Amino acid sequence: MKWGMVIDLTKCMRCHGCVAACRVEHFLPLRITWVKLIAYETDEGGVLDVTTFPVRCNQCKEAPCVDVCPTGASKQRADGIVEIEADKCIGCRYCVIACPYQNRTFLSKDKDPGYFPGYPQTRFEIKGKKLYPHQRGTTTKCNFCAEKIDYGLANGLTVGIDRDATPACVNTCQARALTFGDLDDPNSNISRLIVERKGLQLQQILGTDPSVYYVDGKIGGKDNKAPESAMTGSHIQHLSSVEARAKKVFPGSKKN
Amino acid sequence: MQARRQWITTHEWMVQPTAQTEWIEGQGILIWMAEVFSALGMGLYLVSLFLNNWWGMLAGWFIIVLLKLPFHFFYLGRPWRFWRAIPPFTNAWKTSWIARGMFFTSVFAGLAMIQLITTYLLDHNMVAESLVPGVLLLDWAMRILAGFFALLTGIYCGFVMSYCKAIPFWNTGLLPIVFVIMGLADGLALIMGVGLITGGVDFHAIEVASQWALIINAILITTYLINASYQSATAEYSVMQLIMGKAAKAFWIGVILLGIAVPLTISLLSIFVLEFSPVLMILAVISHTIGAFALKYCVLKVGIYRPIISRVPVY
Repeated sequence: MKWGMVIDLTKCMRCHGCVAACRVEHFLPLRITWVKLIAYETDEGGVLDVTTFPVRCNQCKEAPCVDVCPTGASKQRADGIVEIEADKCIGCRYCVIACPYQNRTFLSKDKDPGYFPGYPQTRFEIKGKKLYPHQRGTTTKCNFCAEKIDYGLANGLTVGIDRDATPACVNTCQARALTFGDLDDPNSNISRLIVERKGLQLQQILGTDPSVYYVDGKIGGKDNKAPESAMTGSHIQHLSSVEARAKKVFPGSKKN
Repeated sequence: MQARRQWITTHEWMVQPTAQTEWIEGQGILIWMAEVFSALGMGLYLVSLFLNNWWGMLAGWFIIVLLKLPFHFFYLGRPWRFWRAIPPFTNAWKTSWIARGMFFTSVFAGLAMIQLITTYLLDHNMVAESLVPGVLLLDWAMRILAGFFALLTGIYCGFVMSYCKAIPFWNTGLLPIVFVIMGLADGLALIMGVGLITGGVDFHAIEVASQWALIINAILITTYLINASYQSATAEYSVMQLIMGKAAKAFWIGVILLGIAVPLTISLLSIFVLEFSPVLMILAVISHTIGAFALKYCVLKVGIYRPIISRVPVY
């Protein structure tokens, strides 16, 4: 089995819930985020649009970060998850350089000033550091909440369905834009999504074969766009123009 | 306030071509230094080996062991774990150029030290008559092996970078060749400096070799840039940054003027004069060494990632 994730860009509403959930789940140091949101604007013939891409480690099947690691600290599990053994990492940052997606972060002292810089650690912080002892001077990244997956499998739970066996970002996503499951199972939710909605991997040209796929009306073709009736107020960012978006938000406004 | 909140807000990071910073900014300066000393040490050792100049070989060995390695060491986030990268033929060794490089450098340091000792003993007749054939054989074996590992030490730095597919400007087989040839030219310049202090160096022969090395370098760098500009839009963007962007001053003044034009001019002038001017020679050595620093700075500085969002089609 190979774990993977599908991110439905027509549903993502840029709430940063996944970013926050990941930070809390892993007690991430103050200036580290494993999940990031990229936003960019496009202007196609006067039609302005904003698109956001939630990004995290792609757990590539041909991971350059694993290949370049000089100590074997970065390695790939049988289920495809790329993990870092912090005790082996020497902090050379070759993996940070080699990652085409820039989803690895070197945990330097300035990125870990404590949750309340200048104050003693809270009990929450102390507990967090015991649970997730992120080591300064090493590299960190998203691990698809591997510990939750392992726990779930050991306890007979279904990964991607049961909350205790599903990554925190997927559990938290209120727009249900994230789907997690087994890429090797052709009948799994994500395999079907990838086929039906023409899932796209980032930077396919590099041959890294990421386990994170994106589906979007614009990427997969116009046919794949979510019907307007299915959109909530949160989804209007993906309407085709700023003007249309403004009309949705302020239907009675004279400025429209 | 905006800067402090930056890591939790939505941003346009990696949408446009984004330059790598880990190996050139902040603590990354140590990597730049280590890269430069790799080339200088390798070049000086190999040139000295060819010219049989013991002091040059010693200086090359010192540059690698006392400058390159410490800069690498202090760059590491967990320096005292450095030994984990050295064992050869592990799984990591099969694919990681840093692991290979650590091994090459360590082996070079050991072999070259033995070679320096045997050469010194033979040169100063400090070996008993009966042992001379054996020590001579050992000396030659060490020269061949140390020279080979010196070359590997110089070339692996190029492969470390050229392996990165994400940075198209680096991702070419020409990069290790550029680094090695530039390193040899650096070695030719430094051996003149060594010769000025210790004597016993044929300056005329070195000047001729230096001219060719510099001309080959100029051709290689031009080929590299032309090749990169055809490779992809991101690599072309890197070239533009190099010739008229943020690295332009370092490139034109450091690499082209000081690294190639000034030493080449001084070298060509030497054709027309019988006596070598020590002042001009020192100027050439300093100028060339600045060029070596500038070359590595430029290559690291314009290491720009391919943007990750495929919907920005031009890259």
